[in-house]
Amino acid sequence: MRRPRAAEVAVVNLAACDRCGLCLPLCPPEAIHLEFDDLVIDRGACTGCRKCVAPCPVGALAMVDA
Amino acid sequence: MPDVDILIVGAGPAGCVAAAWAKRAAPELDVVVLERDRAVGTPVRCAEGVGDAGLREFANPEGAPWVARKISRVIFIAPNDSEVRVAERDVGWILDRTRFDAFLAAEAGGLGAAVLVGTEAAGMTPGPHGRWDVRVRSARGETTYRAKVVIGADGVEAMVGRWAGLETRVPARDMESCAQYVVRGIDFDPDAIYLQFGHDIAPGGYAWVFPKGVGIANVGLGLVALKSDGRNAREYLDAWLARRYPRGACAGYTVGGVIVHTTVTQTYTDGVLVAGDAAHMINPLSGGGIVNAMKAGRLAGCTAAAAIRAGDTSARRLAAYHHAWMELLGLDHLKYYRIKRALEDLDDEFFNALARTVNAIPQERRTLGRIFTHALVKHPQLIPVAARFFM
Ligand SMILES: Cc1cc2nc3c(=O)[nH]c(=O)nc-3n(C[C@H](O)[C@H](O)[C@H](O)COP(=O)(O)OP(=O)(O)OC[C@H]3O[C@@H](n4cnc5c(N)ncnc54)[C@H](O)[C@@H]3O)c2cc1C
Ligand code: SF4
Ligand code: SF4
Repeated sequence: MRRPRAAEVAVVNLAACDRCGLCLPLCPPEAIHLEFDDLVIDRGACTGCRKCVAPCPVGALAMVDA
Repeated sequence: MPDVDILIVGAGPAGCVAAAWAKRAAPELDVVVLERDRAVGTPVRCAEGVGDAGLREFANPEGAPWVARKISRVIFIAPNDSEVRVAERDVGWILDRTRFDAFLAAEAGGLGAAVLVGTEAAGMTPGPHGRWDVRVRSARGETTYRAKVVIGADGVEAMVGRWAGLETRVPARDMESCAQYVVRGIDFDPDAIYLQFGHDIAPGGYAWVFPKGVGIANVGLGLVALKSDGRNAREYLDAWLARRYPRGACAGYTVGGVIVHTTVTQTYTDGVLVAGDAAHMINPLSGGGIVNAMKAGRLAGCTAAAAIRAGDTSARRLAAYHHAWMELLGLDHLKYYRIKRALEDLDDEFFNALARTVNAIPQERRTLGRIFTHALVKHPQLIPVAARFFM
């Protein structure tokens, strides 16, 4: 994993995430990836913009201090 | 390294129909479809409703095993729960998407395309002679496919377009966050679909009941998170269900995103086409995208096949796909998008009043055209909406 460049980064709660893919096209720097049953957020690419957080239908995304 | 003519990413309606039409247009071509899910058509992230005429362009629904229910009425529910019935005859169908998508994949397979499940595209880079090298992962490990044309039919994720340098990102205001249950044991008209609007119900979207049979339906909603009060889509749905169907038993559960935008500004580049949700080809007013995805898939498959036969898969040649799509539906979607944006400014009281006006028209004369005319006379606020529509 690359070092975070933002003060806050997005993290996913994989127990809640349904792998619906909705958050991927919302993420400007392409930091979110689906790899089969894994949703991976690249902490080094995340800019902390929060665009992915509220739209998640199940609230599986949150911001944490980097 | 497997070398193929056309590599399609995603075996939804867009990808399966693209594969079938590429093989119909040029049977000698190698066509491969990649699908991440372990089986085509699962999980279902859809309310499964389609219009009659659009569906019939691709398959005959009468007696088909992939149909759940025929629909002959639409019932709009205003924010204050008053119902408006719109009488129409052959409105559409509720599909069984698991079976329908599998039927489309089998059709592509029958024409000679290979559909590989449990297999995902992980990225791509330009290869020699205008080809694309696509990284492909499965339980068997990672390989690279070399393809003359890649069709991105990867749904809401729209990553193939991004890998190829196309702008397929979605502004948050144009993303509907959806949640849906399959609910049993509820009372409703099984020949009708129900749509309810309201700021406290589904801000920026609507809630729906799409019957799969008597007493069983897809019950869900879509909303724009920027307009929500802080709750997510599932929490809004739980509240709506508790109010309308407190005794319903929830069987299945799903969530997903619907892009209510206009077609991406460019759907092609050298050796790449994007189709269906991956190119934002959903009707931005209704959120329906199944038939659109099939129409785009047909165009993409035919365009790619003809380009390979002609030995020219450059962006200049593939641009024909974009123009054909815009002519077919893309320009309409630009108009629908303007209506969507205008409707966003209207409040719940407006829709309650509109429901009263429309209910004053005798039901057998309640065509959509007449509703619109009456609405304009009684509700001058709608005039700017109409103006923007016809602009
Ligand atoms: C809750 C909800 C309700 C809806 N209700 C309706 C409705 O009633 N009527 C209607 O017309 N439309 C509806 N839609 C929209 C409709 O589902 C889509 O428009 C339609 O499925 C689009 O088809 P597609 O082929 O473009 O994409 P999809 O059907 O999404 O197919 C894309 C496929 O690509 C696969 N994929 C993605 N990335 C990769 C990768 N990297 N490698 C391999 N495979 C990949 C996915 O697993 C998926 O199977 C609804 C959507 C949602 C979320
Ligand atoms: S939007 Fe939420 S549920 Fe969907 S893939 Fe992203 S984190 Fe998971
Ligand atoms: S916070 Fe912004 S940059 Fe980070 S993952 Fe979410 S959308 Fe992407």
